[in-house]
Amino acid sequence: MEPIRSQYEDDPDMMEIVLEFAAELPERANEIERVLAAGDFDQLKTLAHQLKGAGGGYGFPRITEVAGELEHSLKDGVRGDPIKGHCAALCAVLRAVVAGKGD
Amino acid sequence: MNPEIPNTNRVLVIDDSEPIHKLIEARLRPEGLEVSSEFDGERGVERAIAEQPDLILLDIDLPDVDGFEVCRQLKDHPDTRDIPVIFLTGTTSTDSKVKGLDLGAVDYVTKPFDQVELRARVRAALRTKRLQDLLEHQSFLDGLTGLWNRAYLDQRIESELNIARRYGRPVSLILLDIDHFKRINDGHGHLFGDIVLQGTAECLPVYARRSDIVTRYGGEEFAILLADTSLRAAAYVAERLRTAIEGRNFEAHGETVVVTASFGVACTLNLSSELTRETILNAADQALYASKDAGRNCTHVMTENGIISVASFNGRSGGRPSED
Repeated sequence: MEPIRSQYEDDPDMMEIVLEFAAELPERANEIERVLAAGDFDQLKTLAHQLKGAGGGYGFPRITEVAGELEHSLKDGVRGDPIKGHCAALCAVLRAVVAGKGD
Repeated sequence: MNPEIPNTNRVLVIDDSEPIHKLIEARLRPEGLEVSSEFDGERGVERAIAEQPDLILLDIDLPDVDGFEVCRQLKDHPDTRDIPVIFLTGTTSTDSKVKGLDLGAVDYVTKPFDQVELRARVRAALRTKRLQDLLEHQSFLDGLTGLWNRAYLDQRIESELNIARRYGRPVSLILLDIDHFKRINDGHGHLFGDIVLQGTAECLPVYARRSDIVTRYGGEEFAILLADTSLRAAAYVAERLRTAIEGRNFEAHGETVVVTASFGVACTLNLSSELTRETILNAADQALYASKDAGRNCTHVMTENGIISVASFNGRSGGRPSED
Protein backbone atom coordinates (compact mmCIF):
# COMPACT_ATOMS: atom_id res chain seq x y z
CA MET A 1 0.00 0.00 0.00
CA GLU A 2 1.11 3.54 -0.76
CA PRO A 3 2.30 5.47 2.28
CA ILE A 4 -0.48 7.65 3.72
CA ARG A 5 0.25 11.18 4.89
CA SER A 6 -1.94 13.59 6.80
CA GLN A 7 -3.52 16.39 4.82
CA TYR A 8 -2.61 18.63 7.75
CA GLU A 9 1.02 17.73 8.28
CA ASP A 10 2.07 21.23 7.17
CA ASP A 11 -0.59 23.06 9.18
CA PRO A 12 1.26 24.77 12.05
CA ASP A 13 -1.74 24.44 14.40
CA MET A 14 -1.96 20.73 13.72
CA MET A 15 1.55 19.46 13.03
CA GLU A 16 2.32 18.42 16.56
CA ILE A 17 -0.89 16.58 17.37
CA VAL A 18 -0.98 14.93 13.94
CA LEU A 19 2.43 13.42 14.58
CA GLU A 20 1.33 12.27 18.01
CA PHE A 21 -1.87 10.74 16.63
CA ALA A 22 -0.05 9.03 13.76
CA ALA A 23 2.59 7.59 16.08
CA GLU A 24 -0.16 5.83 18.05
CA LEU A 25 -1.75 4.16 15.02
CA PRO A 26 0.43 1.00 14.81
CA GLU A 27 -0.53 0.26 18.41
CA ARG A 28 -4.20 0.81 17.52
CA ALA A 29 -3.76 -1.78 14.77
CA ASN A 30 -2.29 -4.27 17.24
CA GLU A 31 -5.17 -3.59 19.60
CA ILE A 32 -7.73 -4.22 16.88
CA GLU A 33 -6.12 -7.59 16.13
CA ARG A 34 -6.07 -8.54 19.81
CA VAL A 35 -9.70 -7.54 20.36
CA LEU A 36 -10.77 -9.37 17.18
CA ALA A 37 -8.93 -12.52 18.28
CA ALA A 38 -10.64 -12.30 21.67
CA GLY A 39 -14.03 -11.97 19.96
CA ASP A 40 -14.88 -8.78 21.88
CA PHE A 41 -17.09 -7.19 19.25
CA ASP A 42 -18.36 -4.39 21.50
CA GLN A 43 -14.82 -3.19 22.11
CA LEU A 44 -14.05 -3.61 18.42
CA LYS A 45 -17.03 -1.39 17.58
CA THR A 46 -15.83 1.26 20.04
CA LEU A 47 -12.35 1.26 18.47
CA ALA A 48 -13.79 1.51 14.98
CA HIS A 49 -16.14 4.29 16.08
CA GLN A 50 -13.34 6.35 17.61
CA LEU A 51 -11.03 5.94 14.62
CA LYS A 52 -13.85 6.88 12.32
CA GLY A 53 -14.54 10.04 14.31
CA ALA A 54 -10.92 11.15 14.68
CA GLY A 55 -9.23 10.00 11.46
CA GLY A 56 -10.62 12.59 9.08
CA GLY A 57 -10.12 15.35 11.62
CA TYR A 58 -6.41 14.55 11.67
CA GLY A 59 -6.22 14.60 7.90
CA PHE A 60 -6.71 10.87 7.27
CA PRO A 61 -10.07 10.53 5.50
CA ARG A 62 -9.13 6.98 4.47
CA ILE A 63 -9.09 5.91 8.14
CA THR A 64 -12.56 7.34 8.64
CA GLU A 65 -13.81 5.56 5.56
CA VAL A 66 -12.44 2.09 6.38
CA ALA A 67 -13.19 2.31 10.11
CA GLY A 68 -16.72 3.42 9.20
CA GLU A 69 -17.21 0.31 7.06
CA LEU A 70 -16.08 -1.88 9.97
CA GLU A 71 -18.35 -0.10 12.45
CA HIS A 72 -21.28 -0.28 10.08
CA SER A 73 -20.89 -4.01 9.53
CA LEU A 74 -20.55 -4.67 13.26
CA LYS A 75 -23.70 -2.65 13.93
CA ASP A 76 -25.52 -4.70 11.30
CA GLY A 77 -24.57 -7.86 13.17
CA VAL A 78 -22.10 -9.09 10.57
CA ARG A 79 -19.56 -11.53 12.04
CA GLY A 80 -16.88 -13.93 10.80
CA ASP A 81 -14.78 -13.52 7.66
CA PRO A 82 -16.27 -10.22 6.44
CA ILE A 83 -15.34 -8.62 9.79
CA LYS A 84 -11.85 -10.11 9.62
CA GLY A 85 -11.59 -8.61 6.14
CA HIS A 86 -12.63 -5.15 7.35
CA CYS A 87 -10.21 -5.36 10.28
CA ALA A 88 -7.35 -6.39 8.00
CA ALA A 89 -8.13 -3.49 5.68
CA LEU A 90 -8.24 -1.02 8.57
CA CYS A 91 -5.01 -2.32 10.11
CA ALA A 92 -3.28 -2.07 6.74
CA VAL A 93 -4.34 1.57 6.44
CA LEU A 94 -3.23 2.35 10.02
CA ARG A 95 0.19 0.79 9.36
CA ALA A 96 0.60 2.62 6.08
CA VAL A 97 0.43 6.00 7.79
CA VAL A 98 3.72 7.86 7.76
CA ALA A 99 4.18 9.45 11.16
CA GLY A 100 7.26 11.56 10.49
CA LYS A 101 7.83 14.20 7.85
CA GLY A 102 10.92 12.71 6.28
CA ASP A 103 11.01 9.62 4.10
CA MET B 1 -18.51 44.63 41.94
CA ASN B 2 -19.32 46.98 39.09
CA PRO B 3 -21.22 45.73 36.10
CA GLU B 4 -18.80 44.71 33.35
CA ILE B 5 -19.47 43.40 29.89
CA PRO B 6 -18.99 39.64 30.04
CA ASN B 7 -16.46 37.77 27.88
CA THR B 8 -17.57 34.88 25.75
CA ASN B 9 -14.66 32.66 24.91
CA ARG B 10 -14.83 29.53 27.06
CA VAL B 11 -15.74 26.25 25.42
CA LEU B 12 -16.32 22.97 27.25
CA VAL B 13 -15.86 19.80 25.21
CA ILE B 14 -17.56 16.62 26.46
CA ASP B 15 -16.29 13.65 24.46
CA ASP B 16 -14.86 10.27 25.44
CA SER B 17 -12.06 10.34 22.90
CA GLU B 18 -8.71 11.93 23.74
CA PRO B 19 -7.73 12.52 20.08
CA ILE B 20 -10.97 14.44 19.56
CA HIS B 21 -10.20 16.72 22.51
CA LYS B 22 -6.73 17.44 21.19
CA LEU B 23 -8.07 18.06 17.72
CA ILE B 24 -10.71 20.51 18.89
CA GLU B 25 -8.23 22.31 21.12
CA ALA B 26 -5.78 22.67 18.24
CA ARG B 27 -8.56 24.05 16.06
CA LEU B 28 -10.10 26.46 18.56
CA ARG B 29 -7.07 27.82 20.46
CA PRO B 30 -5.93 29.91 17.48
CA GLU B 31 -9.39 31.53 17.61
CA GLY B 32 -8.55 32.84 21.08
CA LEU B 33 -10.88 30.38 22.80
CA GLU B 34 -10.26 28.66 26.10
CA VAL B 35 -11.02 24.96 25.78
CA SER B 36 -11.63 22.58 28.67
CA SER B 37 -12.29 18.85 28.44
CA GLU B 38 -14.44 16.24 30.14
CA PHE B 39 -14.66 12.60 29.12
CA ASP B 40 -18.04 11.51 30.45
CA GLY B 41 -21.50 12.94 30.80
CA GLU B 42 -21.81 13.14 34.55
CA ARG B 43 -18.59 15.08 35.02
CA GLY B 44 -19.39 17.19 32.01
CA VAL B 45 -22.63 18.37 33.60
CA GLU B 46 -20.89 19.07 36.93
CA ARG B 47 -18.17 21.04 35.21
CA ALA B 48 -20.68 23.03 33.18
CA ILE B 49 -22.58 23.99 36.34
CA ALA B 50 -19.38 24.96 38.14
CA GLU B 51 -17.59 26.81 35.35
CA GLN B 52 -20.41 28.27 33.28
CA PRO B 53 -18.75 27.93 29.88
CA ASP B 54 -20.08 29.98 26.95
CA LEU B 55 -20.48 26.98 24.68
CA ILE B 56 -20.59 23.20 25.11
CA LEU B 57 -19.51 20.77 22.39
CA LEU B 58 -21.19 17.52 23.29
CA ASP B 59 -20.54 14.07 21.86
CA ILE B 60 -23.60 11.90 21.38
CA ASP B 61 -21.85 8.59 22.07
CA LEU B 62 -20.56 8.83 25.64
CA PRO B 63 -19.53 5.92 27.84
CA ASP B 64 -21.93 6.53 30.76
CA VAL B 65 -25.05 8.38 29.65
CA ASP B 66 -25.67 9.29 26.03
CA GLY B 67 -25.28 12.84 24.81
CA PHE B 68 -29.02 13.34 24.45
CA GLU B 69 -29.51 12.64 28.15
CA VAL B 70 -26.62 15.00 29.02
CA CYS B 71 -28.25 17.69 26.90
CA ARG B 72 -31.56 17.13 28.66
CA GLN B 73 -29.87 17.54 32.06
CA LEU B 74 -28.09 20.72 30.93
CA LYS B 75 -31.34 22.19 29.64
CA ASP B 76 -33.19 21.24 32.84
CA HIS B 77 -30.70 22.94 35.16
CA PRO B 78 -31.26 26.67 35.77
CA ASP B 79 -27.51 27.42 35.76
CA THR B 80 -26.78 25.71 32.43
CA ARG B 81 -30.07 26.17 30.59
CA ASP B 82 -28.86 29.15 28.56
CA ILE B 83 -25.48 27.75 27.57
CA PRO B 84 -25.60 26.82 23.87
CA VAL B 85 -24.86 23.18 23.04
CA ILE B 86 -23.45 21.94 19.73
CA PHE B 87 -23.70 18.20 19.21
CA LEU B 88 -20.73 16.27 17.88
CA THR B 89 -22.11 13.33 16.06
CA GLY B 90 -20.50 10.41 14.33
CA THR B 91 -23.70 9.51 12.58
CA THR B 92 -25.18 11.34 9.68
CA SER B 93 -28.70 10.15 10.41
CA THR B 94 -31.34 12.85 10.22
CA ASP B 95 -33.17 11.34 13.20
CA SER B 96 -30.39 11.96 15.66
CA LYS B 97 -29.76 15.48 14.38
CA VAL B 98 -33.42 16.33 14.75
CA LYS B 99 -33.52 14.75 18.19
CA GLY B 100 -30.54 16.83 19.31
CA LEU B 101 -31.98 20.06 17.97
CA ASP B 102 -35.35 19.32 19.54
CA LEU B 103 -33.64 18.85 22.90
CA GLY B 104 -32.36 22.41 22.72
CA ALA B 105 -29.00 22.09 20.95
CA VAL B 106 -28.27 25.07 18.71
CA ASP B 107 -26.35 23.13 16.09
CA TYR B 108 -24.51 19.92 15.29
CA VAL B 109 -21.18 19.03 13.71
CA THR B 110 -20.61 15.68 12.07
CA LYS B 111 -17.40 13.85 12.88
CA PRO B 112 -14.91 13.81 11.29
CA PHE B 113 -15.42 17.52 11.11
CA ASP B 114 -14.04 19.94 8.66
CA GLN B 115 -11.98 22.47 10.59
CA VAL B 116 -13.31 25.49 8.74
CA GLU B 117 -16.85 24.35 9.37
CA LEU B 118 -16.18 23.61 13.04
CA ARG B 119 -14.72 27.05 13.59
CA ALA B 120 -17.53 28.77 11.73
CA ARG B 121 -20.22 26.94 13.69
CA VAL B 122 -18.47 27.67 16.99
CA ARG B 123 -18.11 31.35 16.08
CA ALA B 124 -21.77 31.58 15.13
CA ALA B 125 -22.90 29.98 18.39
CA LEU B 126 -20.64 32.25 20.45
CA ARG B 127 -21.85 35.32 18.58
CA THR B 128 -25.43 34.50 19.52
CA LYS B 129 -24.38 33.76 23.09
CA ARG B 130 -22.64 37.10 23.30
CA LEU B 131 -25.74 38.97 22.14
CA GLN B 132 -27.84 37.01 24.57
CA ASP B 133 -25.40 37.85 27.41
CA LEU B 134 -25.42 41.52 26.44
CA LEU B 135 -29.21 41.63 26.44
CA GLU B 136 -29.32 39.93 29.80
CA HIS B 137 -26.65 42.28 31.08
CA GLN B 138 -28.62 45.31 29.84
CA SER B 139 -31.79 44.06 31.42
CA PHE B 140 -29.99 43.93 34.77
CA LEU B 141 -28.65 47.48 34.65
CA ASP B 142 -30.21 50.60 36.09
CA GLY B 143 -30.37 53.23 33.35
CA LEU B 144 -29.90 56.30 35.52
CA THR B 145 -27.01 55.17 37.72
CA GLY B 146 -25.34 52.37 35.77
CA LEU B 147 -25.56 50.13 38.86
CA TRP B 148 -27.15 46.69 38.86
CA ASN B 149 -30.92 46.86 39.24
CA ARG B 150 -33.43 45.16 41.48
CA ALA B 151 -33.99 42.22 39.14
CA TYR B 152 -30.28 41.44 39.32
CA LEU B 153 -30.25 41.77 43.09
CA ASP B 154 -33.21 39.42 43.45
CA GLN B 155 -31.46 36.83 41.31
CA ARG B 156 -28.15 37.18 43.14
CA ILE B 157 -29.74 37.01 46.58
CA GLU B 158 -31.26 33.67 45.61
CA SER B 159 -27.96 32.22 44.46
CA GLU B 160 -26.00 33.63 47.42
CA LEU B 161 -28.60 32.23 49.83
CA ASN B 162 -28.23 28.81 48.22
CA ILE B 163 -24.49 28.95 48.82
CA ALA B 164 -25.08 30.21 52.36
CA ARG B 165 -27.43 27.31 53.13
CA ARG B 166 -25.13 24.73 51.64
CA TYR B 167 -21.94 25.87 53.32
CA GLY B 168 -23.30 27.64 56.40
CA ARG B 169 -21.65 30.88 55.36
CA PRO B 170 -23.12 34.26 56.30
CA VAL B 171 -24.63 36.59 53.72
CA SER B 172 -25.44 40.17 54.65
CA LEU B 173 -27.64 42.80 53.10
CA ILE B 174 -27.47 46.57 53.52
CA LEU B 175 -30.43 48.72 52.51
CA LEU B 176 -30.09 52.48 52.42
CA ASP B 177 -32.49 55.23 51.61
CA ILE B 178 -31.55 58.84 50.89
CA ASP B 179 -33.01 61.07 53.60
CA HIS B 180 -35.70 63.62 52.67
CA PHE B 181 -35.29 62.86 49.00
CA LYS B 182 -38.70 64.29 48.19
CA ARG B 183 -37.70 67.55 49.82
CA ILE B 184 -34.46 67.59 47.74
CA ASN B 185 -36.46 66.96 44.58
CA ASP B 186 -39.09 69.55 45.38
CA GLY B 187 -36.61 72.15 46.56
CA HIS B 188 -33.98 71.85 43.83
CA GLY B 189 -35.76 70.15 40.97
CA HIS B 190 -35.80 66.62 39.59
CA LEU B 191 -32.63 67.12 37.60
CA PHE B 192 -30.81 67.83 40.82
CA GLY B 193 -32.52 64.80 42.36
CA ASP B 194 -31.03 62.71 39.55
CA ILE B 195 -27.60 64.19 40.22
CA VAL B 196 -27.93 63.19 43.88
CA LEU B 197 -28.88 59.65 42.88
CA GLN B 198 -25.97 59.44 40.44
CA GLY B 199 -23.53 60.93 42.93
CA THR B 200 -24.61 58.48 45.60
CA ALA B 201 -24.39 55.62 43.10
CA GLU B 202 -20.84 56.65 42.21
CA CYS B 203 -19.76 56.83 45.78
CA LEU B 204 -21.14 53.45 46.93
CA PRO B 205 -18.85 51.09 44.98
CA VAL B 206 -15.85 53.19 46.00
CA TYR B 207 -16.53 52.68 49.70
CA ALA B 208 -17.97 49.17 49.45
CA ARG B 209 -15.61 46.26 48.95
CA ARG B 210 -14.78 44.90 45.51
CA SER B 211 -16.83 41.77 45.99
CA ASP B 212 -19.94 43.58 47.26
CA ILE B 213 -22.84 43.80 44.86
CA VAL B 214 -24.14 47.37 44.76
CA THR B 215 -27.60 47.87 43.30
CA ARG B 216 -30.21 50.55 42.91
CA TYR B 217 -33.15 48.91 44.57
CA GLY B 218 -35.69 51.45 43.39
CA GLY B 219 -36.42 55.17 43.75
CA GLU B 220 -33.91 56.60 46.21
CA GLU B 221 -33.21 53.23 47.78
CA PHE B 222 -30.01 51.24 47.26
CA ALA B 223 -29.11 47.70 48.33
CA ILE B 224 -25.73 46.10 48.81
CA LEU B 225 -25.33 42.33 48.94
CA LEU B 226 -22.29 41.14 50.88
CA ALA B 227 -21.38 37.48 50.38
CA ASP B 228 -19.49 35.64 53.09
CA THR B 229 -19.85 38.62 55.43
CA SER B 230 -20.93 38.70 59.09
CA LEU B 231 -23.37 41.21 60.54
CA ARG B 232 -20.49 42.95 62.27
CA ALA B 233 -18.47 43.40 59.07
CA ALA B 234 -21.57 44.49 57.15
CA ALA B 235 -22.40 47.07 59.85
CA TYR B 236 -18.87 48.39 59.46
CA VAL B 237 -19.27 48.71 55.69
CA ALA B 238 -22.65 50.43 56.19
CA GLU B 239 -21.16 53.02 58.52
CA ARG B 240 -18.34 53.65 56.08
CA LEU B 241 -20.87 54.24 53.29
CA ARG B 242 -23.02 56.46 55.49
CA THR B 243 -20.04 58.65 56.41
CA ALA B 244 -18.95 58.83 52.77
CA ILE B 245 -22.38 60.03 51.61
CA GLU B 246 -22.61 62.53 54.45
CA GLY B 247 -19.20 63.92 53.52
CA ARG B 248 -20.03 64.36 49.87
CA ASN B 249 -21.56 67.76 49.15
CA PHE B 250 -23.77 68.55 46.20
CA GLU B 251 -23.97 71.97 44.57
CA ALA B 252 -27.38 73.29 43.47
CA HIS B 253 -27.42 76.79 41.95
CA GLY B 254 -24.41 77.84 44.00
CA GLU B 255 -25.93 76.43 47.17
CA THR B 256 -24.30 73.52 48.99
CA VAL B 257 -26.71 70.71 49.75
CA VAL B 258 -25.77 68.07 52.31
CA VAL B 259 -27.22 64.68 51.49
CA THR B 260 -27.50 61.92 54.07
CA ALA B 261 -28.92 58.42 54.06
CA SER B 262 -30.40 55.99 56.58
CA PHE B 263 -29.20 52.41 56.73
CA GLY B 264 -30.53 49.01 57.72
CA VAL B 265 -28.37 45.88 57.93
CA ALA B 266 -29.30 42.19 58.20
CA CYS B 267 -27.31 38.98 58.08
CA THR B 268 -28.44 35.39 57.45
CA LEU B 269 -26.77 34.16 60.65
CA ASN B 270 -28.76 36.63 62.77
CA LEU B 271 -32.22 35.97 61.42
CA SER B 272 -34.72 34.26 63.67
CA SER B 273 -37.03 33.42 60.76
CA GLU B 274 -36.51 31.04 57.88
CA LEU B 275 -33.82 31.97 55.33
CA THR B 276 -35.44 33.38 52.23
CA ARG B 277 -35.01 36.39 50.01
CA GLU B 278 -38.09 37.97 51.58
CA THR B 279 -36.99 37.47 55.19
CA ILE B 280 -33.56 39.02 54.72
CA LEU B 281 -34.99 41.91 52.69
CA ASN B 282 -37.69 42.50 55.31
CA ALA B 283 -35.17 42.38 58.13
CA ALA B 284 -32.92 44.97 56.47
CA ASP B 285 -35.96 47.08 55.63
CA GLN B 286 -37.20 47.07 59.24
CA ALA B 287 -33.74 48.05 60.45
CA LEU B 288 -33.72 50.86 57.86
CA TYR B 289 -37.06 52.14 59.19
CA ALA B 290 -35.68 52.11 62.71
CA SER B 291 -32.91 54.42 61.44
CA LYS B 292 -35.52 56.73 59.92
CA ASP B 293 -37.45 56.75 63.21
CA ALA B 294 -34.30 57.44 65.17
CA GLY B 295 -33.74 60.69 63.29
CA ARG B 296 -32.12 59.53 60.01
CA ASN B 297 -28.44 59.57 58.91
CA CYS B 298 -27.72 56.53 61.08
CA THR B 299 -27.50 52.74 60.88
CA HIS B 300 -29.51 50.03 62.61
CA VAL B 301 -28.93 46.30 62.51
CA MET B 302 -31.29 43.35 62.86
CA THR B 303 -30.05 40.97 65.57
CA GLU B 304 -31.57 37.75 66.92
CA ASN B 305 -33.06 39.86 69.70
CA GLY B 306 -34.48 42.60 67.54
CA ILE B 307 -33.29 45.85 66.03
CA ILE B 308 -30.58 47.93 67.68
CA SER B 309 -28.47 50.89 66.64
CA VAL B 310 -25.02 50.25 65.29
CA ALA B 311 -23.54 52.09 68.28
CA SER B 312 -25.14 49.76 70.81
CA PHE B 313 -24.35 46.75 68.59
CA ASN B 314 -20.68 47.71 68.63
CA GLY B 315 -20.88 48.43 72.36
CA ARG B 316 -22.39 44.99 73.00
CA SER B 317 -19.56 43.31 71.18
CA GLY B 318 -17.07 45.01 73.48
CA GLY B 319 -18.82 43.41 76.43
CA ARG B 320 -20.12 46.72 77.76
CA PRO B 321 -23.79 47.49 78.15
CA SER B 322 -25.17 49.77 75.54
CA GLU B 323 -25.34 53.45 76.34
CA ASP B 324 -27.82 54.85 73.86
